[in-house]
Amino acid sequence: MSIATGALRNIQDVARDPRSWWQRSKGNIELWANLIVIGWALAFMLWRGGGFAITVGSVFAIWAILAVSLNLVVGYTGLLSVGHIGFFGIGAYAMAVLSSNASYEQLRTEAIPTFGWPFFAALPFSVILAGLVALVVGVAFNRFRDDIYVLVSFGFAVIAFTTFLSWRNLTRGAFGIHEIARPAIGSWVFEEELEFLALLLVFLGLVVLIAWLIVTSSFGRVLTAIREDEQAIAVFGYHTTHYKLAIWVISAMMAGLAGALLASWSTFIDPNSFVLLESVLLVSIVILGGLASIWGSLLGALAFVMLEEGMRFVPFLPSEFIGQIRQVILGILLVLLMLFRPQGLVGRFKL
Amino acid sequence: MGVLSIKRTLSIALLAVLVLAAVGCGEEEKGPFRIGVMESVTGAGETYGTVAVQSKQLAVDEINAAGGINGRMLELIVEDSKCNAQDAITAYNKLTDVDEVKIILGTSCSGAMLGAAPLAEKEGVVMFSGLATNPDIAEAGDYIFRTSLSDATVGVDTGNVLWADGIHDLATINESTDYAEGVRRTTTAQFEKLGGHIVAAESYPTDTTDFRTQLTKLLNANPDAIHVASQAEASGGTIIKQLRELGYDGPIYADVVPIGTTALEIAGEAATGVKAITPDLDPANAKAQEVLAAFKKKYDYVTLPWFLGSAYDNVYITAECLKETGDDQDADGFRDCLYDITWSGTIGVDYSFDEKGEVVGLSNAVLEVLPVAERTEENGGYRVLGAAPTS
Repeated sequence: MSIATGALRNIQDVARDPRSWWQRSKGNIELWANLIVIGWALAFMLWRGGGFAITVGSVFAIWAILAVSLNLVVGYTGLLSVGHIGFFGIGAYAMAVLSSNASYEQLRTEAIPTFGWPFFAALPFSVILAGLVALVVGVAFNRFRDDIYVLVSFGFAVIAFTTFLSWRNLTRGAFGIHEIARPAIGSWVFEEELEFLALLLVFLGLVVLIAWLIVTSSFGRVLTAIREDEQAIAVFGYHTTHYKLAIWVISAMMAGLAGALLASWSTFIDPNSFVLLESVLLVSIVILGGLASIWGSLLGALAFVMLEEGMRFVPFLPSEFIGQIRQVILGILLVLLMLFRPQGLVGRFKL
Repeated sequence: MGVLSIKRTLSIALLAVLVLAAVGCGEEEKGPFRIGVMESVTGAGETYGTVAVQSKQLAVDEINAAGGINGRMLELIVEDSKCNAQDAITAYNKLTDVDEVKIILGTSCSGAMLGAAPLAEKEGVVMFSGLATNPDIAEAGDYIFRTSLSDATVGVDTGNVLWADGIHDLATINESTDYAEGVRRTTTAQFEKLGGHIVAAESYPTDTTDFRTQLTKLLNANPDAIHVASQAEASGGTIIKQLRELGYDGPIYADVVPIGTTALEIAGEAATGVKAITPDLDPANAKAQEVLAAFKKKYDYVTLPWFLGSAYDNVYITAECLKETGDDQDADGFRDCLYDITWSGTIGVDYSFDEKGEVVGLSNAVLEVLPVAERTEENGGYRVLGAAPTS
């Protein structure tokens, strides 16, 4: 919010006195990060408007929900979890299993039961299931802190992936699940990509609103206090484990929501979408954008998606190496950014 | 007068623009055929994707050096689809929306293929893969084709090989994974269809290390041959070793895994003579040897020869169909051409596509493991006996 009003004030300043505005702003990295990322995104939309921009927007919306949800745990509460992709996968698989209507060839591949639920019936179930799993593992995770927390959450991501791969009479293992339902209200199906993007943005708005309400509430202040010094806040009579568990479950439910949306968006999922590497990318997005900043997570997701997709347009590369070079450039940019801006684009707090 | 001169200037400018546009269009007509390529060049499946892209580029370079297709060059636009649905969808939309291609070669990963296939089917874009083997792709739609053999064919061909080799009583052992269980199921079904009997069947969970009890049960049933389907090389190799240790000297058949490098190291001399059924290039096919040599010359390595050849053939089939349709935007014409085409290339002779876009006329090869003394890195420890019989 303050960024938005700040931006508005800046625009007024620029109009009034461009030179002194430049003097004051040239060292303001936060402002430039905002201008560059959003400017690049807008330029990209104008340049490559249409179907591809809609796809990129949809990917951004899904990853933004994930990043905001993870920032609640990592940024605000200080619990470095790299297992978030597990909840993303649980949400996606719950949606897939419940809403898929595919019939499978019996002989060769695994046939699984089909329920054929509509999207909006499966959605709350997916979110609640992710929350329930989070509740169970969260009770165990609360015994750990700091580096050990990273390791156990790492373990959770591995277990989740293996489960998706091995629980074959539910998930069809490596074969994946087809024909996942698109959302429908009455007879109106969100078949067009633009309609789905609108739906994704509504859910993103909802998640941002909930996250904002949390971090500005007294509950959110206790979380921040836990991050700064858990023992100190416990001395004042706060049951820190309850707070940590609560935010963990809320965050997992948001990730489950993102997963359910991904499944419906792509209409096909297999375990490859939920490998550990994706979890590491997610943590990079949160750190890239800035810890303990909702706006930072949105900006981080936008920067990451625009960087990755924009890189498709780097000219003069031999076709055999395009993919690899994209990854290398992306890696170098992230390293440079962390070197010169360890608190992330707009963050205030370092790990 | 002033107004007139402005009018004249304007009309000259307009004329110039029109002429330029016409020239531009003319150039457009003679521009290259543009074809999309989606492969998993990073992440899981990276080896497959990279080989596929390089092999396709090799074929394109050859075609263009020979004067192109009806005088027009062929141009590939390569995108990384990684190995999952989300990245496949973004790569697909980039190719179809920004580059406006209607024909996409790829992908190497079944998961990516199945992610983008519903979109391609809806929008009438042809997807043509040389590497994806998931059996579900057969049902993916009218615009989805592949030259790669579905995993389901391995079992059918194994059944045929067993029957042709005069086996009547078969015992099977398989790892409980989707791939190995699938191979076992299709093998058994085909073998029984031909008249064979399954006298014993065992399965084991992943990470089992001792199979003697289960193997003894199999041997007590007195089979003519034993079929091993495993997913992990270690278990496949151990089963073969322990079978020989238990005194069994009859024939052993397997899927490709139990003759992998690690498996052969474990089994040692016990593996000699084991037959495996899997896609491989026919050593008698001169075209295949030529392509492998050209690939080796260009990239200085060779790996996954069958998939390399399959991706290479995809480009030549595409070129042939483009020659026929003359328009890289005509996906329907291209699709019809694929349904009609019969092709002889690197991976086989006279192969075509059935009504599901699945390749027919190709079969898996039968490989035989060589004695330890003759195993080299070059031959992978086996020799190709020839194509599996089709019946």
